[in-house]
Amino acid sequence: MAKRLEIALKPDLVDPEGEGLKSRAREYFGLILDRVRTINVLTIDAELSEEQFARARTEVFTNPVIQVSSYEPLAADFDYAIWVGLRPGVRDTLGSTAQEALEDFFGFRFKHGEAVYASRLYLLQAPTLARDEADLIARELLANEIIQQWRVMDRGEWDPAGGLGIVIPKVRLHHEPTVTEVAIGSDEELLRISDERSLALNPNDVPTIREYFLRPDVLAARAKVGLSKPTDVELEYISQGRSDHCNHNTFNGLFRYRDLATGEELVVDNLFKSCIQAPTLQLAGVKPWVASVLWDNAGVGRFDEDHYYTITGETHNSPSNMEAYGGSLTGIVGVYRDPMGTGLGSKIILGTYGFCVGPRDYDGPLKPHLHPRRLLDGIVQGVKDGGNKSGVPTGFGQVFFHPCYLGKCLVFVTALGLMPTKVQGRPSEKKTTSPGELIIMSGGRVGKDGIHGVTASSQVYSEHTPAGHVQIGDPYTQKKMHDFLMVARDEGLIEYITDNGGGGLSSSVGESARFSGGAEVDLDKVPLKYEGLDQWEIWVSESQERMTIAVRPENLERFMALSNLHGVESTVIGRYTDSGRLHLKYKGQTCAYVDLDLLTSDFPQWEFDAEWLPPQSRGLTEPVLSRPGDFRSLLLALMEQPNIASKEWITRQYDHEVQGGSVIKPLVGVKRDVPSDASVYTPVPGSLRGLAIAQAVNPTYAAVDAYHMVTASIDEALRRLLAVGGDPEHIGGVDNFCWPSVQYDPASNPDGKFKAAQLVRANWALKDACLAYGIPLLSGKDSMYVDGNLAGPFGERHRVSGLPTLQFTANSVIEDVTLCQTLEFKDPGDLVYVLGRTRDELGGSEYYDLLGYTGLNVPQTDMEENSRLYRAFAQACRAGLLASAKGLYRGGLGVALAMAAMGGGLGAFVDLDGLPSENGLSPERKLFSESTGRFLVTVRPADRDAFEAAFAGLPCGFLGRVRADETTLVKAGGEELIRVENKELRAAFKKPFGHLI
Amino acid sequence: MNGKERQVKTLVVTGFGINCDNETQYAFNRAGSSADRVHINQLIEDGRQGRGLKDYHVLAVDGGFSWADDHGAGVLLSLKLKSHLGAQIEEFIADGKLIIGICNGFQALVNMGLLPGFGGDYQTRSVALTANECGNFRDDWVRMIGDPASPCVFTRGIEEIDLPIRHGEGKFVAPAEVLDRLRSGGQVALRYAKPAYEADRRDDRPAPYVAAGGEYPHNPNGSLDDIAGICDETGRIFGLMPHPEGFHHLTNHPDWTRRQDMRRRKGLPLLDWEGGGMKIFHNAVDYVAENLL
Repeated sequence: MAKRLEIALKPDLVDPEGEGLKSRAREYFGLILDRVRTINVLTIDAELSEEQFARARTEVFTNPVIQVSSYEPLAADFDYAIWVGLRPGVRDTLGSTAQEALEDFFGFRFKHGEAVYASRLYLLQAPTLARDEADLIARELLANEIIQQWRVMDRGEWDPAGGLGIVIPKVRLHHEPTVTEVAIGSDEELLRISDERSLALNPNDVPTIREYFLRPDVLAARAKVGLSKPTDVELEYISQGRSDHCNHNTFNGLFRYRDLATGEELVVDNLFKSCIQAPTLQLAGVKPWVASVLWDNAGVGRFDEDHYYTITGETHNSPSNMEAYGGSLTGIVGVYRDPMGTGLGSKIILGTYGFCVGPRDYDGPLKPHLHPRRLLDGIVQGVKDGGNKSGVPTGFGQVFFHPCYLGKCLVFVTALGLMPTKVQGRPSEKKTTSPGELIIMSGGRVGKDGIHGVTASSQVYSEHTPAGHVQIGDPYTQKKMHDFLMVARDEGLIEYITDNGGGGLSSSVGESARFSGGAEVDLDKVPLKYEGLDQWEIWVSESQERMTIAVRPENLERFMALSNLHGVESTVIGRYTDSGRLHLKYKGQTCAYVDLDLLTSDFPQWEFDAEWLPPQSRGLTEPVLSRPGDFRSLLLALMEQPNIASKEWITRQYDHEVQGGSVIKPLVGVKRDVPSDASVYTPVPGSLRGLAIAQAVNPTYAAVDAYHMVTASIDEALRRLLAVGGDPEHIGGVDNFCWPSVQYDPASNPDGKFKAAQLVRANWALKDACLAYGIPLLSGKDSMYVDGNLAGPFGERHRVSGLPTLQFTANSVIEDVTLCQTLEFKDPGDLVYVLGRTRDELGGSEYYDLLGYTGLNVPQTDMEENSRLYRAFAQACRAGLLASAKGLYRGGLGVALAMAAMGGGLGAFVDLDGLPSENGLSPERKLFSESTGRFLVTVRPADRDAFEAAFAGLPCGFLGRVRADETTLVKAGGEELIRVENKELRAAFKKPFGHLI
Repeated sequence: MNGKERQVKTLVVTGFGINCDNETQYAFNRAGSSADRVHINQLIEDGRQGRGLKDYHVLAVDGGFSWADDHGAGVLLSLKLKSHLGAQIEEFIADGKLIIGICNGFQALVNMGLLPGFGGDYQTRSVALTANECGNFRDDWVRMIGDPASPCVFTRGIEEIDLPIRHGEGKFVAPAEVLDRLRSGGQVALRYAKPAYEADRRDDRPAPYVAAGGEYPHNPNGSLDDIAGICDETGRIFGLMPHPEGFHHLTNHPDWTRRQDMRRRKGLPLLDWEGGGMKIFHNAVDYVAENLL
């Protein structure tokens, strides 16, 4: 019999969660709640004796010092009670850890179908709160209908004796697993079935698929295993394998590029091969530290004699846009499986994030699915739980606000791992499968999660329908698996390892089987979360926290013993063969039998028209602005710009120091509140060798030209690393493209050809910058379709496309971290210099944005001149000539000066006449231009000659000195423009988000 | 006695979402101990065969998110340890050996009743660590002051110490009479602290530190009486929310670039590169070497 256990904090203790709800209700909706208390509810659906129920309450789930609990309703004294629980099939980690605890405590396993379900009750004291306001709080602050169910009850509706009653969100499918044959009489028929089943087959692929299944040799071979027409399992497999997500059809596509201004035309065949693969292979040939790139789940670089680092970056945009918490949590936990599944497996050592969202205070007419404020809250929390509970430092990050992301937000997550260069004498960066090896699935179980992604969201819910398409990552399950796999790797038990992400088993087994040349899988062996999944669903489900591992039969016993020791479920689901085929069976019956090379055979290449119009031809101009009269207020206003203002509230929620290797933290300075240019970690305890990481994203530059957006972002990421002491000879890059759809359609995507041209130009820029700076692309991903259709005020829908966006992540290896540097002014009297040339480049800048302009003169990057400067910079840094160093990015010199002054608790006297710049540049351009290739540095007076000699012949200008008080003075042409104190700068810097901490 | 037997041996617990085991092992090794990371299930299995915990001098229940912090931080970890290793741990304590609980480990020790261990009662829960008053997980550095009168073995000689905190549930709460007893017995080994006055940053004599008086963020979680760490009456069991293993090297400290820069300018020798958190591990290892080997 099920019982409902309610647990609450003692009434005299502060309830921080209740307080949080109170403050959000006030801030978001102006609703005043007098008091909010929360009750945790565990519905224990298991046959326990009365005594066991009693012991579960007192000995397991109640802390007598701070909590009260009861199997009777605890609720009293409220105006509204809001109950929030999960929908059936949504990952209930609280429920499953409760079950695990009870099983361990009582020493028996729950029977089949028994479980614990967690939910929560919020008690609101708010006598004046209207019913619809209580509903609003439930809907907008507490629950998301995609994953949760809720009830709002006022006093009259509340049953004081029965309370909530018993709610058991168990999945019941009542479905017999079935394999269906699919008719392929004609292309039209197959396409119709593709639509009906949401297969999303590309019409161009259909003839190739039909041709294969109609080939006489294929038919004959299939007949031997009892198959004729393709099964749904096979078509789902092909659909997954051919999707843009798995196959990168856009980047592998053919682009017909036309410059409409010059009439120039050229054909670009395959952006990936020409702009990513080719330069990376070229650089890998001359950079011996590049160990393995372009094929595995993450790129591999050499860290030291005994270790490799692994790195990759992902996005999780669409799921986060629908369910911000679950989407971003699944994103970060998911990307951590990539390094785990690289080579023979690496330990996760670092994570980073990038969020692009609409303005947090948006109050315009469009209605995004989640308001940017709520969306960002959820995203921040998802990455917090995903990173913190994985025991991985979340070491760097950025947030970019822009209305273009109202259509779809971007959630970038990057992961770094570390592995020994040799595992039991074998090179760890290599892996392969061989016939006879066992296919093992480890970690979580399989449910309907993630099947067909977003299309599932349109299905009608019933009380017991699994809300499968949105997933809630489970870092706890994954952390156990991670620890287990590291031990299994060190014992040499792993031959091949890869993660189950997009496409699930179909992709992990499909890809690993290519090494051995075949595989046989018994789908009925795959452990399920609940009964009733069709065979194709088992095969393509994207249920999280799973790895696929090849293990030799002789190692099976030890592998399973270790798995058991770590509390991880592992199951043999098949074996690798050399049959050339993927052979799937269910209870002995074949349900799929396809040639492994089918997916790599001659499917037609996607094609795009790309039409470029230079910005002048698109009517972009520089704004007509006179010189401002109040530079001080202008600087303070820039400090308040959401893309410059402090995001400390996010950084502090993320454990950025676990694993004990933090050297340069994401926040630096005397008050530890200024964002560092980059972060540095020592991942091997006891070694002073460091790994530096930084990221850049500059989408507004793409409003002018995506080419310069890309070069500026790569330059920024590189400079960020150099500023803390990075080595220009060892820079790795990760490109994460997020682009609106580039498929032209006169009605739904009329500027598709222009967006395609921007993609081509962005890729050219990527290639140019990587070759010029010597940055091999260790990893990268593309996420297309950053578009949304938002409801407007009159019932119309607006297509909102994201700006073309590249997040560039760069890493460096630092030989000795004791030579690292931070950005803040160190000592009064130090000399202030700017390195690099300032030009009239305010297009897409924060200054123009503040005044409502885009402009035309986007920063252009002179990579040759910059490279010379960077080499000198790195030498000066190693020689200890720099007392502080900071790159100049958004907001330009003005903002950089403010950061260095606030960070140091010091001031500066600066004369802009000394700035290396174009002739006749106005002071506002000198202060706020976002020209790339520049640093603000300070130098000890004693080092002046050595410093100036180090930069002889390079753009290097002396501006002034650091001051002892906390006042910064800026002058130009003999006139004082700014006199500002740190406390004023800091107040502006923290104004937008400071109260969120 | 041969050399091997004279080795200070530390057991660092791993598994089920614990995540500071590598750096905790490193810190103990660096302090001169020989530390093993052992999965809780392995420890239980070893215990059945008469091995395991008894072969060690120090038990470190280190930080992390055991069982995802579900059902109260450290609650399920304490349940697991108590139900499977309770008797061995009692014996370990009776043998005069040392236990340290860090962050999640501190939460577990408190929930097991090992702390505060009044009158040798290592069963009763009388204090708790609950959700931070700021309502959120927080990563920051804090300064603490030690109690010179405390019997705590781990904090001997520590007047002030800087360490990182990284937790969502670190608010120390206890009834008034329990707090009184903790104070009077010197069991409050570490308190969150704040500068006594706003000193000029260039002053060579920085302001002395005094108890934070509940002031956020010096007291980062709202702990009663600014309590950051407590020991039992013997001083051999110690738990704290901040992470001493997170400050094993000077470069972990947020101010290290500025501090070393200042020393160079003044022509002073650079600060020792060993981190300030190591003092706690040295104290433990020294105690074992002096008393248990």
